[in-house]
Amino acid sequence: MLMVEGSLMLSCLIPALHFADGTASAISASGLFTFFLGLLLRVSYHDARTITDRRNAYLLVVLLWVVLALFGTLPFLATGTLHTFSDALFESMSGITSTGATVFSAVEWLPASILLWRSMTQWFGGFGIVLLVLAIVPSLGINKYSLYTAEASGADNTGKQSSTMAATIRQTLGVYLTLTLLFVFLLWKSGMHPWDALNITFTNISSGGFSIYNNSLEHLTHLQQYIVALAMLLSGVNFMLIFHLVTFRWDRIRTKLDQLSFFLGTFVIASLFVCFALRATAHIPWADALRCATVQTISVLTTTGSLVADTSSWWVPITFLFVILSLCGGMAGSTTGGLKAMRVLILHRNVRKILHDRLHPHAVNPVRLNGRPVSSEIITNVMVIFVVYVLVITVGIMLLMLCGINATESVGAIIACITGYGPGLGLSGGFGCYGAFTTAAKYLCAFFMLLGRLECLTLLILLVPAFWKK
Amino acid sequence: MSAFRPHIERIGVRKFNLKLIFRLMGVLLMYHALGMALPFAISIYCHDGAQFALGMAAVGILIPGLFFRNILGKNPTYDIAENESYWVTTITWLTIPLSGTLPYILTGATGSFADALFESFSGFTTTGSSVMAHPEELPQGLLVYRAFTQWVGGLGLMLFVVAILRRLTLGAEQIYEAEFSGTQQRKLHPRLAKSVTRLWVIYSVLTLMLFLLLLIQGTPLVDAICLAFSTVSTGGFVTHSSGLSILSDGCLCTITLFMLLSGINVAQLYRIFTLKLRHWGRDEETRAYLLLTLCSISLCVIGFVAAGQDVGTSLRYSVFHIASTVSTCGYYLPRPQHWSFVVSVLTFLLIVVGASAGSTGGGLKLRRIIILSKYIGNYFTRMMHPNAVFRVKVNGEVVQHDYITKVFAYFFLYIAFIVAGAFVLTLCRCSIPDAICMAAANISNLGPSPLINNLGGSLDYAMLPTIGKLTLTTLMLAGRLELFALIAVFSPAYWRRGT
Repeated sequence: MLMVEGSLMLSCLIPALHFADGTASAISASGLFTFFLGLLLRVSYHDARTITDRRNAYLLVVLLWVVLALFGTLPFLATGTLHTFSDALFESMSGITSTGATVFSAVEWLPASILLWRSMTQWFGGFGIVLLVLAIVPSLGINKYSLYTAEASGADNTGKQSSTMAATIRQTLGVYLTLTLLFVFLLWKSGMHPWDALNITFTNISSGGFSIYNNSLEHLTHLQQYIVALAMLLSGVNFMLIFHLVTFRWDRIRTKLDQLSFFLGTFVIASLFVCFALRATAHIPWADALRCATVQTISVLTTTGSLVADTSSWWVPITFLFVILSLCGGMAGSTTGGLKAMRVLILHRNVRKILHDRLHPHAVNPVRLNGRPVSSEIITNVMVIFVVYVLVITVGIMLLMLCGINATESVGAIIACITGYGPGLGLSGGFGCYGAFTTAAKYLCAFFMLLGRLECLTLLILLVPAFWKK
Repeated sequence: MSAFRPHIERIGVRKFNLKLIFRLMGVLLMYHALGMALPFAISIYCHDGAQFALGMAAVGILIPGLFFRNILGKNPTYDIAENESYWVTTITWLTIPLSGTLPYILTGATGSFADALFESFSGFTTTGSSVMAHPEELPQGLLVYRAFTQWVGGLGLMLFVVAILRRLTLGAEQIYEAEFSGTQQRKLHPRLAKSVTRLWVIYSVLTLMLFLLLLIQGTPLVDAICLAFSTVSTGGFVTHSSGLSILSDGCLCTITLFMLLSGINVAQLYRIFTLKLRHWGRDEETRAYLLLTLCSISLCVIGFVAAGQDVGTSLRYSVFHIASTVSTCGYYLPRPQHWSFVVSVLTFLLIVVGASAGSTGGGLKLRRIIILSKYIGNYFTRMMHPNAVFRVKVNGEVVQHDYITKVFAYFFLYIAFIVAGAFVLTLCRCSIPDAICMAAANISNLGPSPLINNLGGSLDYAMLPTIGKLTLTTLMLAGRLELFALIAVFSPAYWRRGT
């Protein structure tokens, strides 16, 4: 993994040399360092067997993210764009978890290589999470990502071509790369500089949200904004689903139809509300209201965090709706954060089932998803994640307030970090940044980004004493 | 027309027994009018000028009561379908607080109907949110009435219903459970009517004790009555705009103690009364309750001291504040000079957790929290040892998996209600944390929100627009009925005929 990161960093050399901005040596030094360290580790542990123990698997997943984030700080520190380690860690973690929260109040002065590095960590991190789910899940069995395995196994029953994990990974990777290329091309064709197109695609297809402009998407033309919105929309859809859509495998699509319609339905309803609310409160023309509403809503729902306007000045209920939407998130198996559409659906249907049970105590009435009953194992998994999520957020807000941040700001920052949305409320919201946070608050936020990305349980289990006992 | 029609017959054909419901409402309204005798008497005794209005209100409640009971609900059949209990519960909880708006309107204490509705629901659901900025200016009869509604609402209107409908053979249990839903309480006596009587006896004795103790310590008569009613029911209406700071320290201690007691399961209180202390100490929920209180107090004190407050003041404030919050009573003292955010967030957590199941307090209830935390603890272990089998035990009894799922679902619904309520409140120009806190404080039947910046009192509810007041009213009711009854009645599936 480190080798991959090192080579990614080295690839940042290209723009550095191209634009001749004087950061080439710093970037290449950190890139080489990472690369060789990765090589060294690889060589010294090349005889290590594959992971069989569950505990090692959890540990590996967490360590992977932490190490990637740590090494991701190198370019920032080496080029001197960020002076403190806490800032660099925050930025790097925000990149690798594809959150998109930033400590830079202005980004346009940054060297091109650093901009690309930020975009690239997001692109890499966004894909990393999908890969992680696919690659390490099998060794964890049903417990951890039972959601996803359940989905995958559901799909496997209907056909044989893609039943192996390797094939699934290949297909997902293919979808991701194709989408990236496609949107770079589209943006380029719509009149954007290829360099901009590359950066913007990287951060939006991964639902990250770093921007190379101070005013994020506002910098773009209307057509380009809609293209980016489409990219975000697709980043919120399960990648296997996209694959099946493109290959016209309708029988496979049916297995995820509920989630898809929930995701799109939420998007449409929320956009309409935001559109009317914007029209009523901000008095902008209908066309602008519709554009701002759709682009921003999809950015929130997929927890991307690209901004079409300065949302911090928007009506408070809209902001609150955005907080709720970011908690919902996109579909499982995509790059988005949040709870995921599937979990929200299961939570909702379980409540409905229980209500129905009370009214008709003798009826057999399982929770169904896509026409199939959902096992109680999955339901409890979803429930546990939900409770832990709520609890962790509350505790996070409390801790952040202890760091001297006010209430609104804390609520916004913690939810933005744990869901991977990015911009918070108040100073950290809109086109603002997290630069004013105290050092402790930045570490805390970085921790919450990781927590959100690894869906709480994986990280929290390391804190359980029993985990470390033989 | 037999009262002993077999149960089976009614499954599949949902025909509401409207006559019985009318009769029930009629009787309840008549009791309500009867209950107004006390405020009326106080009003005459104090010459507060509200005698006429209160008398009119009583008559105004009595007349529809008589009409319902004797004309619309004449000769009902005494049976109720299994599903009807939700309907009965909800309609009772709508009718009585609705009729309770009359005294507020007639005395002119509230500006608008929405205000009266808010105040009345806040009373009956034992929430204690108030739109009255200066309760000391109200007629004293009305103050007593306000506190009295809380006292009645404390144990629950449904216990009245059960007590009234002694002739009901089927469905009474469901009604009982509709209010104490999902907490799987053991009854105090195999016979429902008897256990209900016992509950009322304990409750009344507790109230009387507090009343006498306050009186002995020199509290004025009206204040003592009001505070006794509001404390034991964990309601939290105050008689003075500066909260309880008018009371002496001795009175504060007494009230603190009784608030803590009211947050305990009534069955547990019964054990104290009958001196079965050995069983008392074994109850996990009570132990968790006391532990939670102690830990929160210590945290609070630490928070205050760290913020620069002196130890004496912080201790005094913390003990009172935590007791008031953990029992979801909602009394408040003027804030200390140095406020700590730890206290705000801790208060928020405690509000959501709430008091013990089967007590007069609100919130998610500790029993549910215990089950949740035990289950999640097991879950972590199971993540490492996937084939291990775990069971959740509370008080040595295994909790069924079905029930655990219900608790989880309840948790989800609770959060969903808070979020939805907070969303509407943001439409009323509240900031996001304020909105969340207000919604949580009202669904948990606490009252004043922990975050609102001035005083921490109930002053601010008066400034909300009508839609905000109605939202909070709905939340109070939803919290008091533990969500399911209300949702069931408002879900289309409930009204569909047949199964």
